[in-house]
Amino acid sequence: MNGFVRSAAPHGDPAVDAGRRTRRGAARGRTALTAVVGLVVLCALVTVSVANGDMALPPADAVKGLFGLGDSATVLVVQEFRAPRMVAAIVAGAGLAVAGALLQRLFRNPLASPDVMGVTGGASFGAVAMLAAGASQALMPLAALGGGLLAAVLLGVFGWRGGVSVTRLVLVGLAVQAGLSAAVSFMVVSFPTELAGSALQWTTGSVYGRTWPEVWSAGGAVALGLLVAFALHRRLAVLDLGDDSAGALGLRTSAARLQVLVIAIVLASLAAALTGPVAFVALAVPHMVRFLAGPPTAGTLALSGLAGAVLLLASDLVAQYLLPVGGLPVGVVTATLGAPWLLVLMIRQSSSVNRSAR
Amino acid sequence: MTANQLSTHGLDLRYGDRLIVGGLDLVLPGGAVTAVVGPNACGKSTLLRGLTRLLAPAAGTVALDGADIHRMPARALALRMGLLPQQPVTPDAITVEALVRLGRYPHQRLLSPWSAADQQAVEEALRRTGTRELRDQPVDQLSGGQRQRAWIALALAQDTDLLLLDEPTTFLDLRHQLDVLDLVAALHAEADRTVVMVLHDLGQAARYADHLVVLKDGRLAAAGAPADVLDAELVKSVFDVDCRVIPDPETGTPLVVPKSSAKRHTAVTV
Repeated sequence: MNGFVRSAAPHGDPAVDAGRRTRRGAARGRTALTAVVGLVVLCALVTVSVANGDMALPPADAVKGLFGLGDSATVLVVQEFRAPRMVAAIVAGAGLAVAGALLQRLFRNPLASPDVMGVTGGASFGAVAMLAAGASQALMPLAALGGGLLAAVLLGVFGWRGGVSVTRLVLVGLAVQAGLSAAVSFMVVSFPTELAGSALQWTTGSVYGRTWPEVWSAGGAVALGLLVAFALHRRLAVLDLGDDSAGALGLRTSAARLQVLVIAIVLASLAAALTGPVAFVALAVPHMVRFLAGPPTAGTLALSGLAGAVLLLASDLVAQYLLPVGGLPVGVVTATLGAPWLLVLMIRQSSSVNRSAR
Repeated sequence: MTANQLSTHGLDLRYGDRLIVGGLDLVLPGGAVTAVVGPNACGKSTLLRGLTRLLAPAAGTVALDGADIHRMPARALALRMGLLPQQPVTPDAITVEALVRLGRYPHQRLLSPWSAADQQAVEEALRRTGTRELRDQPVDQLSGGQRQRAWIALALAQDTDLLLLDEPTTFLDLRHQLDVLDLVAALHAEADRTVVMVLHDLGQAARYADHLVVLKDGRLAAAGAPADVLDAELVKSVFDVDCRVIPDPETGTPLVVPKSSAKRHTAVTV
């Protein structure tokens, strides 16, 4: 960053430059501060997560166990039983939130998100269909990806009318999500022996009973997807200028839109492969980040990932320990938070549409 | 001078079934300022979109120094030609500097970091347009004139030899119109940039342009130096306005003075 300031200096009017540094610094500072707070909270949540369970451990021992230190029983409990669940929540939360941030920016609509648009429902459908067909766990990410893309294709077929109306897209998306969720429930009920255990995961979203192989395959792919999403950020910023300006800057706008759309679907589907259709995270996190750190930049995209991880992990802890009925799937907590949130967004959006129509 | 010369050959531009621009053969001289004028809906903006390949021709070609622009890679074209659309979309809460930085997009590779050259181009664009003091302000809170200068700064940061502007003076008051036009004239003069702009005011077009392209109903009505093409006959046939064309007392370029409405009326009915 120093390079900027130095190369700017020849034109510099010191007063202007000083003012600029402080103001630009303020915007960056807000993002950095939010990131630091987010990381601290995440570390605290990780500690709580590995220290609690059927047998409570002293937090210090649990954290040591996470890094393979301490007695073998602690290491086993923490590394094999608790860590996969914790990492699954972090990975899925980050993937969902970044997918939501990408879609909301791409469609310029606060309602756009993979759960509202049917992508997570599609991913669950794909995963359950594979389970029902007796396929191995290792194929879950691929199956979920296929299902997510299927939902996107349905969305395209029914939502595309010579152009994209976001309202139409959201309504069709809700229908696709509902239809695919119904199909998931039907399959879960029809194949009780194979699927009974995972029913909660695929209908409401849960991180219960995740194992390392699942976490590694989906998590690695999510991490890769996140890198691609950040590499695409510059294109996303140019797309914000509208088709004509973006085109004149040499961006192939349709291709760039498709790239962002596909990476968002991939991220959401892979996250759903790990946890099922966890609601609310993708929809709400970008709004929270905007509120905390200001308008979208590459920094706030990264913050969305962090905040999504925090939210999903925190929701899982609430579901496990803080509710009168223990051991609920995390999706119950996020959906309970998400329903009123969606309602507020829809009311706000329709009232702004009414205002502009007047 | 032939470098940076745009030309069209038998150009048809359509929106769906509607032919907007038909059979256009044009040469826009390189290193000069060209103004495109014509009545509303005559295809001026459409022509500009065709010249920047935002709109693919239904027939014919657009060439830059003889090379078909539709066969050039998008990025290669963006390194030579910048565009200010008529009503650009301002991203939510973006600051002037962040907006101008986007002008560097064609100069950057997928993962290349922001370079000193990028920053220098941004600084130069801000300085040239007098927007340095506004750099941290949100673009959507600027006045119309300031906003237009910020957008011109984006096109400048793109650092191209050709600059296309679609009605850069619309919605601006007289003072800001002249500021923008003077800026464009200076940009042309200092680096021999080729400028193509759509204008509404014929007097301004005649003052600021070396070359005039007059369109009517998507066809070429006239082209050439303002003093050669702009006369009462042309204005009558293209705009259906009776007028006198007199030398501009300030510059000597043609100045269109519409006849008073009574005479105009008589002339139309006779």
